[in-house]
Amino acid sequence: MDVSQYLEIFLDETKEHLQNLNTQILNLESDSENMDTINEIFRAAHSLKGMAGTMGYKRMQTLTHDMENVFSEVRNGTIKVQPEMIDILFQCLDALEEYTNNIQNSADEGTNDNEPLIKLLQGVLNGEKEASEAGEKPAAEAPAANATESGSEEKWNEIALDESQVTVLLEARKQGKKVYGLNVRVQETCLLKAARAFLVFKAVEEHGEIVVSQPSAQDVEDEKFDRDFTLIVLSDANLEDIIKAAENVSEIEKVTGGDVKLPEAPVESKEMQKQEEDAVSVKAPEAAKAAPAAKTGTDKKPAAGKPVVNRTVRVDIEKLDVLMNLVSELIIAKNSLVSAAGQEQNNSGFNEQIEYLESVTTSLHESVMKVRMVPIESVVSKFPRMIRDLSKKLDKKLELYMTGEETELDRTVVDEIGDPLMHLLRNSADHGIESAEVRAQRGKPATGSIFLDAYQDGNNVIIEVRDDGNGIDVKAVRAKAIERGTITPEQAETMTDKEIINLLFLPSFSTAKQVTDVSGRGVGLDVVKSKIESLSGEVDVKSQLGVGSTWTIRLPLTLAIIQALMVVVGHEKYAIALGSIQSIEDVRPDEVKLVENKEVISLRGCVIPLIRLNQVLNSESSKSPEDNLNVVIVKKGDMQAGLVIDELIGQQEIVIKSLGKYIRQCKFISGATILGDGEVALILDANALI
Amino acid sequence: MSMELMTGNTTTAVAGENKSVAEYVQYIVIRLGVEQYGIDIRYIENIVRMQQITRVPHVPAYLKGVINLRGEVIPVMSLRLRMGLEAEENTRSTRIIILHLEEEGNVGVLVDEVKEVVELNTEEIEKVAYDKGGKQSFISGVGRHNGELISLLDLSSISLEENA
Repeated sequence: MDVSQYLEIFLDETKEHLQNLNTQILNLESDSENMDTINEIFRAAHSLKGMAGTMGYKRMQTLTHDMENVFSEVRNGTIKVQPEMIDILFQCLDALEEYTNNIQNSADEGTNDNEPLIKLLQGVLNGEKEASEAGEKPAAEAPAANATESGSEEKWNEIALDESQVTVLLEARKQGKKVYGLNVRVQETCLLKAARAFLVFKAVEEHGEIVVSQPSAQDVEDEKFDRDFTLIVLSDANLEDIIKAAENVSEIEKVTGGDVKLPEAPVESKEMQKQEEDAVSVKAPEAAKAAPAAKTGTDKKPAAGKPVVNRTVRVDIEKLDVLMNLVSELIIAKNSLVSAAGQEQNNSGFNEQIEYLESVTTSLHESVMKVRMVPIESVVSKFPRMIRDLSKKLDKKLELYMTGEETELDRTVVDEIGDPLMHLLRNSADHGIESAEVRAQRGKPATGSIFLDAYQDGNNVIIEVRDDGNGIDVKAVRAKAIERGTITPEQAETMTDKEIINLLFLPSFSTAKQVTDVSGRGVGLDVVKSKIESLSGEVDVKSQLGVGSTWTIRLPLTLAIIQALMVVVGHEKYAIALGSIQSIEDVRPDEVKLVENKEVISLRGCVIPLIRLNQVLNSESSKSPEDNLNVVIVKKGDMQAGLVIDELIGQQEIVIKSLGKYIRQCKFISGATILGDGEVALILDANALI
Repeated sequence: MSMELMTGNTTTAVAGENKSVAEYVQYIVIRLGVEQYGIDIRYIENIVRMQQITRVPHVPAYLKGVINLRGEVIPVMSLRLRMGLEAEENTRSTRIIILHLEEEGNVGVLVDEVKEVVELNTEEIEKVAYDKGGKQSFISGVGRHNGELISLLDLSSISLEENA
């Protein structure tokens, strides 16, 4: 059967199932008795197995089959959920993910049998320790490269050696040479992993001969490894010397080494046989059990309270873009009809039809936008797992609370928002949450809490990352900024705390006293900021020392079409995005006061600086100084400003067009739009004006 | 605008029939004041009549602003100001030539008049030496047509932003 046409669906669904498994296993870790969760995991594993089988991915099928067996036993209550088991399951998921990635890249699942994982799973089934030992025998293949967090330290014992390699090693050992295993881990922030790895290879080769490398030397050179690689080395030198040589290469985080356990050849084959027998004897009854178990699984489906999946059609995003562009055209056409109708006021029937057209285009636009909207869940659902791993790595107790996963954003925004969010979360986990001792001293609960809240606010979506950690040490930032020469001590005197905190968003600025592998060395917050700004959003931080910090990301719901206020400044028309406008005020000239030689007005108890747009835009105001001022109050975060304009035209739906690459983006202009009469109007970026 | 286009196309078609392509390049001859310049036809996307240009603040003076060309927003520059000549007056013959440049995308240039399409033998094009004491040159060569000299515009130097 030709299944290639189903490949895409298979990949999509596999990813969904894997994500689901990740979430559910995480739930299982905190609540190991929850039958709903166990059933859900069982079902997902079962579907994965079935799909992999249909598509002919045998290795994937075998692995999921064994996972399914474990869950079936858990469900029957034969075995209990153990922390080690969770770790094994996560490794399995990583391995499955690797298969999926392989399939996505080459339509082939790859050749990694993941035998040690399968052995571990069977060990769980048997309740015997033996299998987990077997997993470390050299006969087995190494686990997936990205299963590093929970993998054993002595990776060199997991490398699959073929017979000739074993013979070479045994031969060398006979001649009195030492056989060492080395596990090298590069720092996470390392940019040129392959280059570093090459230097390690070179350093090690000065002391001995590299017999085996896992991943292969070629893969390492092509940077096809996660963060660590394992070597088996033949040498006369001391192990310490070799490790030292490797550690001398910069950006290498850790090198561990030890003797390689080399079994005598005959012993190995015997053990293999034994394991195989075990496997067979286990599999037979398991398979029998799995069948009825699967049936009960499906029967229970509605009872488990899983929401009924909506009927969906998968649509190529390019087709949606075309549709979107057509809607934009339609809106422009409609606008020109509206302006034509405005000139001929005598025909009321015509106006009615125009209004009807207007409401139709508006709802058409809304529905097309909605088609492009996806819940941010698809991005944030991977975070609980990430926090769990971080918690282990940093040795801090962390808990992530998420709300508003159902909040929807434009697909293009959702695709881009993952990295910045991940960075902020890592930042909170690493720099924000204090060590256990400090938390105890401060009388905070031992477990650090990180919150991820998403909600809609008008035309914007707000995503907040909050923690109850240390907060930002403004003094430290100030000192660091002076030390780095970012600001002068005199400047520092006059800067507010908020301004100091904003320095964090400058490139290469990190206050972490220690660079850890979790959050980097100052490349980060500036990237977060520029990424979010490229999505026309903004990021802001509030922090209280000792209490915690809140990072707020504000993103526009849609990027292409916005509601805007059209204004006139010096006979030219400009658009201001409605999202940033707070109110419109009529101000008498005598209400304008001077503070520090700048014009301000006092509005409902707030002093708001005035910006005369005609000065900013180099145009002549059509108003005389005695006239009342038309002031548009705009806000950016907590800051406000009053933009003085000449005339208001009204609210209009506008289609955002780029000004083109040729005109180097003028700071205050975020784009252009085409009005109903075909004229081009520029869009003012209120944020850049404040 | 369509009229001009038609003329351009017809000329291309006729010219295409009776020559071996390699040695001839077609240029559109434009007028700036009293001088004539040639623009390589391969870079020309469209020629439109003068229309409402929306000014963009804080850009060099030669950038007149942006126009709407069938839903696309395109920057327009004054060729006269770009080349350091006096500012133009808009007349009935003023045209905007839309150039398609590889790097910058579509850019419009304002010219006083679009005259004709000519075919120049590449061998007859003379390279001009760089003199004028460091002043930027906008000419890539000089061609000869019916006894008249036509300066050929170097589009890459026009499109580069001024570093002043």
